[in-house]
Amino acid sequence: MAIKTLDIIRRRVEERPEELKKERANGKKVLGWIGYHIPEEVAYSLGFIPIRISVGGDSKLVEVGARYASSKTCVFLREIVGAFAENTDPYIQETDVLAFDATCLQNFRAAEVIEYFFKRDVVVLGVPRNVYWEEAIEYFTQEAKEFTRLLEERAGVSVDKKKLAEAVDLFNKIRAALKEIYQYQASKGNVISWLEVYDLIQAGYVLDKQEYLQLLQQTLAELKEQQSYIDIEQEAGEARIFISGSVIPRGDRKLINIITSLGGRIVGDDIWTGIIPYLDLNIKEISPEGIALGYLNRTPHGALPYLELKTDKRLKKLHGLLDEYKAQGVIYHTLRYCDPYTFKAKETKDVLAQSGIPLLEIHTEYAGSDYEAIRTRVEAFVEMIRNQTIESEEEVSA
Amino acid sequence: MTNINAFAGVDVGSLGTKAVILVNGEIAGSSLIRTGINSVENGLESLEKALDSANLKKEDLKYIVGTGYGRISAPYANKTITEITCHAKGAHYLHPATRTIIDMGGQDCKAIRVDEEGNVVDFAMNDKCAAGTGRFLEVMANVFKVDISELGPLALKATQVLPVSSTCTVFAESETVSLLARGEKPEDIIIGVHHAIANRIKGLFSRVGIQSDVFFSGGVAKNTGMRKALEEVLEVRIANPENDPQLVGAIGAAVSAQRLYEKSGNVSQRSA
Repeated sequence: MAIKTLDIIRRRVEERPEELKKERANGKKVLGWIGYHIPEEVAYSLGFIPIRISVGGDSKLVEVGARYASSKTCVFLREIVGAFAENTDPYIQETDVLAFDATCLQNFRAAEVIEYFFKRDVVVLGVPRNVYWEEAIEYFTQEAKEFTRLLEERAGVSVDKKKLAEAVDLFNKIRAALKEIYQYQASKGNVISWLEVYDLIQAGYVLDKQEYLQLLQQTLAELKEQQSYIDIEQEAGEARIFISGSVIPRGDRKLINIITSLGGRIVGDDIWTGIIPYLDLNIKEISPEGIALGYLNRTPHGALPYLELKTDKRLKKLHGLLDEYKAQGVIYHTLRYCDPYTFKAKETKDVLAQSGIPLLEIHTEYAGSDYEAIRTRVEAFVEMIRNQTIESEEEVSA
Repeated sequence: MTNINAFAGVDVGSLGTKAVILVNGEIAGSSLIRTGINSVENGLESLEKALDSANLKKEDLKYIVGTGYGRISAPYANKTITEITCHAKGAHYLHPATRTIIDMGGQDCKAIRVDEEGNVVDFAMNDKCAAGTGRFLEVMANVFKVDISELGPLALKATQVLPVSSTCTVFAESETVSLLARGEKPEDIIIGVHHAIANRIKGLFSRVGIQSDVFFSGGVAKNTGMRKALEEVLEVRIANPENDPQLVGAIGAAVSAQRLYEKSGNVSQRSA
């Protein structure tokens, strides 16, 4: 039985651009943002409508973007730049203020390009490379203060502690609901797929936050009615795949569709546009700096370096998620010129190999020319995982 | 269906279509034809020829596995399997001590690691570009105005390895033309081209590792110059079975057909 609320969410996403137009006509301002450390709660409490800008999968826009950004910029950001150049995306059209963070230095560069060529009002949040140093925390605290000041200036109001606390509460509830829904997709007898949850997460980039929470809670109620248990175990014949690596924004479903069409079951991810930003966010102090530090202390983004392989939080989290979702293999997606993830593919593979978890690296871009080549690799990987499962089952029965 | 214990593997590659018939676990027939524009017809034609060479009819076959890039349209097959798995099975069948496979076909090359049963444990493939493929060598053969089969023997006559820096098909072509214009000996350039490819293949192995015995499969494996360059660059000895290396994928498909049949014990009707 399908989850009916998902249809409502799809419809509401389609209706959202028109709504934004009306809200802006009534004096509301839209903050479009791209990054990993942007404290949405702060913008929300100041009265902005936060919209996470997310385009992808369009090679024509990538080419347009290459007229402004270096061709060594990743295809995702080149497409973002291309989308600003064309100005046809409804969310880009409706954005009053843009917020970027410098988590990935290419992201920072894209912000400069967009500000320079398209005369957009851009605010940038600096992010330290090493999140463990005292100096890094001090730097980020100052950055968060300055970022807040710039937003206050544009909003025409100052941060109100009560409104900020309400925003934190709302966003915490959204994160909690998403985490709970995510468990259902990985379970036996699941009535919701990983892709449906992934789309649900990305619907939250644009929907009104209050309405989004209400729709998530409605989804959860339906799930509880249709699937009375969460039992995350591997079933016979399954090839349980975990996706890691570069961003997979809305509009880019090439790899996901290939995996699922070949019978691979995606059960988890740690992608920037997936569940990972919503995990382990612990806001200890209701202030812009407190929220920002909560963001900083999550699992680090891939653009930040592995500091020590044995203690790296990101690898520890990856291992934990693989174990939690009983994944049998990792498909590591790297976008062309997404250097932070591409350079980490080999060491991630080596680290996972020590735990007996195979990793397949898929290096791709938005053009469709490599579709069949990717299909062959993914199909062979699924065969390999299934074969390993069969071999181990045979060993057990012998 | 007759009582003959016959199985077939059909490998529709980008340049060649191959079929192998296995009877009682032994290779009883095979065929190799040039791939045309209709992969279904190519597969069927190759299968018919392999059956003819084994003195069998299609009705004698208990199970057929299709592989290669043309596997996506193989209605004659009971099942399709990727060429990565099939090359692993084929190499293990021909040389059971195989732990690493270099497969260089018409449009891609692969580094495959296998266990003692011939199961894939890791693999890597070239990304997008034609460097290190049969198509690349075809272009090079055209530059030197020789048949592709002559490239290997010519490479072995080289007195020095001239460095060829480019493995992009287009740039390598212009680089070799420049070297010829400069008066360099074709043999020295050809071995240089082979070394450039081998160095690129070495990059694939940095991702999956290398372990003896090493097996070389695919159409390019017929090229003795490529074999020598790989042995020098990878610093390994490559096993040298007698069978045509271009048939390894089809052999693996036939081996898989037999295994799948024996495991299921109950085979559905073929559709073509």
